[in-house]
Amino acid sequence: MDIREWALLIFTILGQLAAGALLVLMIVRAYAAAKAGVKEADRMTDGPLFMVVPIMGLALLSSLLHLNNLGNVVKAVPNLGTSWLSREVVIAVTFVVIAGVYTLMQWRKIGPTILRDIIGWIATLIGLVQTYAMAMVYMIRTQPSWNTITTPITFFATTLLLGALAVALALVINYNSIQKKDAKAGEKQLDLLRGALQGIAITAIILLGIEFLVLPFYMAHLGSAALQSLKIMTETYGLTLVIRLLLVFLGAGVLATYLYRNASESGKEKTLTILSSSAFVLVLVAEVMGRFLFYATHVRIGL
Amino acid sequence: MEKQLAFYFDASACTGCKACAIACKDRSDLPVGINWRKVYQYEGGGWVSHPENKDLLIPSNLFVYSVSTACMHCEKPICMEVCPATAITKREDGVVLIDNTKCIGCRYCEWACPYGAVQFNEEKGYMTKCDFCQDLQAKGQKPVCVDACVMRVLDVGELDELRAKYGNVSAIEPLPTSDLTEPAVVITPHKHAQTSGSGTGHILSVEES
Repeated sequence: MDIREWALLIFTILGQLAAGALLVLMIVRAYAAAKAGVKEADRMTDGPLFMVVPIMGLALLSSLLHLNNLGNVVKAVPNLGTSWLSREVVIAVTFVVIAGVYTLMQWRKIGPTILRDIIGWIATLIGLVQTYAMAMVYMIRTQPSWNTITTPITFFATTLLLGALAVALALVINYNSIQKKDAKAGEKQLDLLRGALQGIAITAIILLGIEFLVLPFYMAHLGSAALQSLKIMTETYGLTLVIRLLLVFLGAGVLATYLYRNASESGKEKTLTILSSSAFVLVLVAEVMGRFLFYATHVRIGL
Repeated sequence: MEKQLAFYFDASACTGCKACAIACKDRSDLPVGINWRKVYQYEGGGWVSHPENKDLLIPSNLFVYSVSTACMHCEKPICMEVCPATAITKREDGVVLIDNTKCIGCRYCEWACPYGAVQFNEEKGYMTKCDFCQDLQAKGQKPVCVDACVMRVLDVGELDELRAKYGNVSAIEPLPTSDLTEPAVVITPHKHAQTSGSGTGHILSVEES
């Protein structure tokens, strides 16, 4: 892999992380609002919301590395008619802008709650469209290892998995700081936190299942349409693949199970920090390795 | 039907001398690593033991032939489809051209083109490829690769006329199947020509090509 492909790797991983985090935050927010009212929901998700825009900003910065310079962003837009790369640029920029507007409104409490929520969900929707566009960029008919349904499936799995675990970590950090400042307020938050973490842990386990389910289909596709890619993956990067699978299993399987169990029982708040942070780090590394394989094994049809 | 300029290549008589590639490189003053026209040697088959004397090896389906390639000025140019900057256009006569003032050097077309025709010029920061010697053709001359060929295996013409004259073959190994981009090329196959995508042999001259 060259620098350009590393830039794309960082762009797609961070972009999907940001989009997934916003989606999960919006769901957690709706859950908290229904259970304990808007005020508690704000307290729970306003802090974690601040991660979305900087992460997406970093993603865009890294994408500049492959566009050579800032001015080229504008020059990459004209071919919206047929080029998914053009569409991706527009969608990614729109996503960061609307997510930024939502964060600002939520932070300063500008406008009524319902309006803020609507804007938040619009940003979330654009984030999901962004993941779809990212996948479509690679669905080129001369790239058989990319041009398969597993590309969008795994991109969405990464979006949700990284988003869910990043939000879990952010929620725990946010809870810890509330607890430190005001133990009484922390008590109200703890129930919500435990409920949200249980939901996130189950989501992570389901997504792990999807990733493991998709893998044999992907390998079978490579075997019939991109034999060279399969060879590179199993021979050159066999170990990378095994470690990636192991890490995602540990993070989204084993640690997520512990996260669920420890979130179900009271009095285990301290372990939640370690569990959510280690699960997120393991899965992040695993997803980066998975994306590395995606780029390192592609072989174009023809010369 | 619209006009479509196309290359003709007679693989049955190509000796693989690469005069076409050198002439192209010279005329367009291409730097090291960039070759708008390339010649691939494609070989396959092997040696088997003689049924009566195991120490004696005899050739089995051995073949080697050469394929001269450049931009195919495809009827469905995938490079143009994917280019985010609309830097790649197809002229009315079918010639596919890159506008280097629009190209941002993102190299997306390089991922897409199955002929390895679009190549990145690091120094200039944009993509380059065969321009069909449009300046020479405008003067009624032929591209330099055509004129340089010792064996007279290359030519240019209207795609329909070339097809009427030489047939409909537009892909043999190691070229990709023509349904991907519908290349504007007519090929007279070598007698050992292998079907596109069959993978019966391999490219012999990877470093040179």
